[in-house]
Amino acid sequence: MDYVFSILILVGIYIVLAASFNLIIGRAGLASIAHPIFFALGAYTAALLAIHFGLNPVLATLAGAVVAAVFSLMISLPSLRISGDYLMITSIGFQLGLLQVIKNIEITGSQGGLSNIPTPIAGPERGAVFSIIALAAAAGTVLLIRWIVRGPYGRAINAMRDDELAFIALGRDATRIKIAIFAVGCGLAGVAGGIYAFYFQYLTPEQYEILASGTMLTMVVVGGMGSTWGPVVGALMLVALPQAITFLQLPPSYMAPVQGMIFTLLVILFLFLKPQGLVSPEPPAPLAHRRAGRV
Amino acid sequence: MFEPAVLAQILWTGLATSSHMVLFTIAFALVLKVVKLWNFAQAGMMAIAFYAMYAGVNQFGWPTLPSVGFGLALTLAATLALERFGFRVLRARRSSSLLFFIFTLVCSEFAAYALTLIFGTEPAPLFERILSPVRIVAGIAVSDWDLLALGVTIGLATALALYLRFSSDGRCLVAVSDNAELAELYGISAKRAYLIAFALASVLVCAGMYLYGTRTAVIPTAPLQLMIFAVIATLLGGMGSVLGAAIAAVTLSLLQSYSILIVPSKWQGMILYVFLFVTILFFPSGAHPMRLLRRFGLRRG
Amino acid sequence: MKVNRRVVLKAAVAGALSAGLPLRLWAQNRSNLKFGLAMPLTGSQSAYGKDQVTAAQWAVDEINAKGGVQGHKLEMIVLDTQADAQVGISTVNRLISVEKVPVFITAWSAVVKAVAPIANREKVLELSVGANSPEIASLGDYVFTTFPLADVDVNAVARYAHQSLGKKTAAVLYINNDTGVEAAKVYRDAFESVGGKVVAYEAYDPKATDYSGMLLKVRAANPEMVHIHGLITDLPQVIAQMRQLGLQQRVSTYSAGYNPNIIKQLGPAAEGLIVTSLAPGVGERPQVKEYVERWQKQENRVPNGLPYTQYLHDAPVMVARMYEWVLKNKLPITGENMRKALLGVRRFDLPLTGVVEVDATHRVKKPVNLMTVEKGKFVLLATVN
Repeated sequence: MDYVFSILILVGIYIVLAASFNLIIGRAGLASIAHPIFFALGAYTAALLAIHFGLNPVLATLAGAVVAAVFSLMISLPSLRISGDYLMITSIGFQLGLLQVIKNIEITGSQGGLSNIPTPIAGPERGAVFSIIALAAAAGTVLLIRWIVRGPYGRAINAMRDDELAFIALGRDATRIKIAIFAVGCGLAGVAGGIYAFYFQYLTPEQYEILASGTMLTMVVVGGMGSTWGPVVGALMLVALPQAITFLQLPPSYMAPVQGMIFTLLVILFLFLKPQGLVSPEPPAPLAHRRAGRV
Repeated sequence: MFEPAVLAQILWTGLATSSHMVLFTIAFALVLKVVKLWNFAQAGMMAIAFYAMYAGVNQFGWPTLPSVGFGLALTLAATLALERFGFRVLRARRSSSLLFFIFTLVCSEFAAYALTLIFGTEPAPLFERILSPVRIVAGIAVSDWDLLALGVTIGLATALALYLRFSSDGRCLVAVSDNAELAELYGISAKRAYLIAFALASVLVCAGMYLYGTRTAVIPTAPLQLMIFAVIATLLGGMGSVLGAAIAAVTLSLLQSYSILIVPSKWQGMILYVFLFVTILFFPSGAHPMRLLRRFGLRRG
Repeated sequence: MKVNRRVVLKAAVAGALSAGLPLRLWAQNRSNLKFGLAMPLTGSQSAYGKDQVTAAQWAVDEINAKGGVQGHKLEMIVLDTQADAQVGISTVNRLISVEKVPVFITAWSAVVKAVAPIANREKVLELSVGANSPEIASLGDYVFTTFPLADVDVNAVARYAHQSLGKKTAAVLYINNDTGVEAAKVYRDAFESVGGKVVAYEAYDPKATDYSGMLLKVRAANPEMVHIHGLITDLPQVIAQMRQLGLQQRVSTYSAGYNPNIIKQLGPAAEGLIVTSLAPGVGERPQVKEYVERWQKQENRVPNGLPYTQYLHDAPVMVARMYEWVLKNKLPITGENMRKALLGVRRFDLPLTGVVEVDATHRVKKPVNLMTVEKGKFVLLATVN
């Protein structure tokens, strides 16, 4: 039963990550792939506050989200001047650089990881309670993003993504929108981090390397970037597939690499067969002048 | 700490160990320049190159040269197949930069898993003994490996430069990298240029992995780490310039090596990222948003 | 016996269940006494992990051949950790919630540390056998080591370097993870406490394979002795690159270096290497001689990390004695009671490692053998108590 709960919790966390990532790269078109590091910032902040100051987990998680949002400025500010592949590589650099710091300072437990994070809930109901929290966070995130995207703010985001110059020429402020989106997206990743820290009680920097970026990107792209449910589908797939593969009952020394091979092959297959993603993009909200012809 | 003998040793060893990094960087930069692709699949190429050579030497018991040849052959086959069946298709569909990124990264991951399955994760150097003869020259320890590394790197880099400058194929590559559509109008096949670029990259990658693997032990996930350096050096060198990338690679390597005089060696890795960030902040050279966005199709998701 | 549907059904279900289950050494049996063994069966440390599992397996077989523990068979459930913290966590979770073991044995400091919260939370006894990070002594009520921590042998080798070898300055190079960080501090504190001076103190990334930066720093500092605290996978690399840079100092390390493979990989560069051994050698105990001979006969080689396998062989013996105590005192089989048993038995006289005394300090003390490489072979250099 614990096993089922940990799967549900992972699903919840992944949905939060995928949806928030989609907000940044899918909706706003900002090519940052450093999402894992914000997940890490949230997790480590929440964990350290709980360990050293005994802060209650909800506040600690919120603090983690705030820290992640603040750090997002380090990417959103440069993104104002550079974009495209340059931004992508810079974000990788930011992620790995910050990871190096985490790996080398003692307070984070460095390479060995941060252990013995206090848990608010003990006992047999632990799994169930955390599952509810994680899934609620997932639902909340998806609904929040849907609300942002469907409202007038959402139209601005779409316009900015589709043609930034025109957007600026029309007198809109791209800067503020970019910074805000980054902050919201990264803050949500921070929340996911806090939940992870308090359930699993152990953090290690290895989970946030460049492969984690690939994983999160996969969730978003394979799920479908242009829709609300795409990331949800992507997250579900990313948790379900590896678990399904474990049921193949391979001998242990082959299990991990074969699992990896099957998974990566499937991703490649999806990329070629369904490049739009599993969930088709939603049609944009209707606007009067759209019917007059293509913008 | 700052005696001339120590400084000189750092310079020599720093240069020698930068050799394979320079080769990886040149390979990456060349593909970026000609094919306009951030080839994260290069990590996979590097892994295949090493393990093929390793199999040749340790499992089939072949002498060195045939093993290297085998490694090169397999790398070429894998790379050219990737270009023909992978990149060409994605290019025709005008796939976004993110899609290419995921695809190349996942290809490298796949290669790493496949090689883990076949070879396991125990670190393995190319030859069992990783020591080569050392002599002290003017207070500096100079090993045979150092000399080989510098020789191979300078040789290959020079050969590439001459090739690009003076051979007709080389000039085609440059033409395609400047403006692929225009080059096509003049009868130069962009597709062929891409294949040649990948082939050259394979040679450089093979040589680099030979050097790397004769000095330290390799695990299937090592190439991905090595490649981050190549990526950053390429970016810092200016995205259209192979020479710039090579210079950046040597400079960064030396900076990393000399940094130990000031910081504990565990922070050496940070130098790379600090440099990247500082450079991006103050010199976002050549990053015109419109040109980049259109060219790499970031618009069309 | 009447063969009725119920029996057949039960057998079929048991068969189906056991088909997909982890490596099990005996068929499902209610009266088996279970314990877990979480070791790296795959991954870079698997050569050591697998040999350690083999040693434990031999002990379990021997115990069961002699009738088990008060008629019950001892059942060892082996799962893979890849010496990785994350994998270790899910493995131990499985051992506790699915297999319901009251006690499990594990090793590799990163894993021991990562699963400690689970052991403490679920009140399951965690026996760390082989990991030596001094932190292990303070990981919680349910975490005990049966293997001396770094503050025992690293302390010994540090003092020896200064007091017996006369080395006044030393460099400490260590792997930047749980194994290295704490042990490096132990070396530095010990070396300086007897009057030596540590002139270079450098960490290297566990994934690194190029140590030039760190070694150039050592070259600049010019120490008389170099202590390297890494895993068996990076140790020969560091020494090789050291020699390539013209650094000829004598090198010391801890028990992970006590491995004939190092001599094979380094050849003459291994001469003079000092390693520690925390288990009695073939000359000191006849059981050890028999044990090594058995390895030669069955596997045609010495086990990887011989002293560690000795401790892993004796760990099931300890578990068996603990079960005996619990059964004798008619207590239910729970983690809490196994812990009581550990402290209740307290003094274990074990076949391959001699006397081990466990107490509330969560530490164990043993004499340290210092070995060195002479003419391509390990020989005893000194014994420190």
